[in-house]
Amino acid sequence: MPSRTKKTEQPEDASMEDVPTSAQPDQETGDAMQEDEFAENGGSGNGEEEEDTVQRVRILPGSSPTAASFEFLEEGHTLGNALRYIIMKNPDVEFCAYSIPHPSEAKMNIRIQTYDTTTATAALAKGLKDLEDLCDVVADKFWTERNRFTEAGRMESD
Amino acid sequence: MDYDAMDMDTEALGPAVKISEADSTHVNFELSNVDLSFANSLRRIIQAEVPTVAIDLVEFMANTSVLADEFIAHRLGLIPLDSRNIKDMPMARDCDCGGHCDKCTVILTLHAKCLGDEIMNVHASDFSVSSARPNQTVGNPIITDPEGLGPLICKLRKGQELHIECMAKKGIAKEHAKWMPTSAVGFEYDPHNKLHHLDLWYETDAEAEWPKSKYADWEDPPQEGEPFDYDAVPNRFYFEVESAGNIDPDAIIQLGISELQQKLAKLITGLGEKSNIDDQYDGPQSPGAMDDGAMYQNDGYQTAYGNGGAQSAWGGGATAYGTTPYGNSGQGGWS
Ligand SMILES: [Zn+2]
Repeated sequence: MPSRTKKTEQPEDASMEDVPTSAQPDQETGDAMQEDEFAENGGSGNGEEEEDTVQRVRILPGSSPTAASFEFLEEGHTLGNALRYIIMKNPDVEFCAYSIPHPSEAKMNIRIQTYDTTTATAALAKGLKDLEDLCDVVADKFWTERNRFTEAGRMESD
Repeated sequence: MDYDAMDMDTEALGPAVKISEADSTHVNFELSNVDLSFANSLRRIIQAEVPTVAIDLVEFMANTSVLADEFIAHRLGLIPLDSRNIKDMPMARDCDCGGHCDKCTVILTLHAKCLGDEIMNVHASDFSVSSARPNQTVGNPIITDPEGLGPLICKLRKGQELHIECMAKKGIAKEHAKWMPTSAVGFEYDPHNKLHHLDLWYETDAEAEWPKSKYADWEDPPQEGEPFDYDAVPNRFYFEVESAGNIDPDAIIQLGISELQQKLAKLITGLGEKSNIDDQYDGPQSPGAMDDGAMYQNDGYQTAYGNGGAQSAWGGGATAYGTTPYGNSGQGGWS
């Protein structure tokens, strides 16, 4: 039997202001579990910088200085694979891999094992920095080439 | 460059970009001397994380057309809106207003009623865009057809009416595809399939049945009887980026890279506040701050090393030791 829409006590359409903004939930209605776990910022109590400083990386239990697993929130293959590659390029790193443990959780894990010459945390920090440098180079190369291409096009049409 | 100093065989040359075609709607370029993982990150980020504006909320004052409200609302979301100057516009959820305001929302209104006997076409060009918005280009419907009409929204017969007010907001395609700046992104490498990343299906002869990509001429075809190179990795990536019109194609690439950099910068800042990373609930001590003899145990978690991985809720069999490094370090892990 087809489901029927029940008439409720709302003869008029709700005005635009009363309607929650569709796909963009309010701060309070965000994922409650994630807020419990991560938004507290360690509960250190200094509420000066609440917004934007939600901690998005943590070390998973069971790590040592040279072998650690990091959990990233709200990250996926976009960051994971490129970061894994660049960390693996570090000669002080013995092993690096990433995984997304479950597709319906927006979490990405990176495992780093280093030689005694550095620490896993340092290798991660260096990886992030190196990837940023790589982005700089690619962005610069692309824009230089774009300018060259448009310039060449202009010369041709003259 | 730090990574330049490392041993990078062909990558030692550094990344290179070569544009082969470009106009207002698309850009074709070759990105070389980078890893597949990085090239793929670039592809993913320009498709899913470059912000644009799109209609997100529609109020129907009148709709007597043959199309249902939600049907029209869905169409409206997909209309490309000018997002070139989106920088000074915050995401609505990050805006101080808490709902919508002139800074984070563009209001588009449309009121059409068919009075004549002819069927009336309602186009995106019929929108009137409110002037109270971050700047005077953001949110304008993109109109590229020679008639200057823009996308068709619906058709009205005599007496039918459509009166709507739409709120356009900033967003990314990770949330909804209507925020995609690209209509298509071509991504290919190894046109001769020398790396055997593809297993081509065939009736009798794969070589004859699969047409070659136009980039096949750019690379040397395999030699007769050439042995398989087990060390070869993809090195040249061919992008064909097609803009939906809301952002120029070259700017999409630029914004994509800067989006990735912002992502990294935020993480670096987060890591920089050293205390934070370990400060989480049940997190371990900072490895750096730890004495040699320290135990890496807390809150009843066993270390993944000591117990063969059976007990830890986190570590255990899921540590790197438990999985094969081959599947992860090779080229199989990307998607
Ligand atoms: Zn606002």
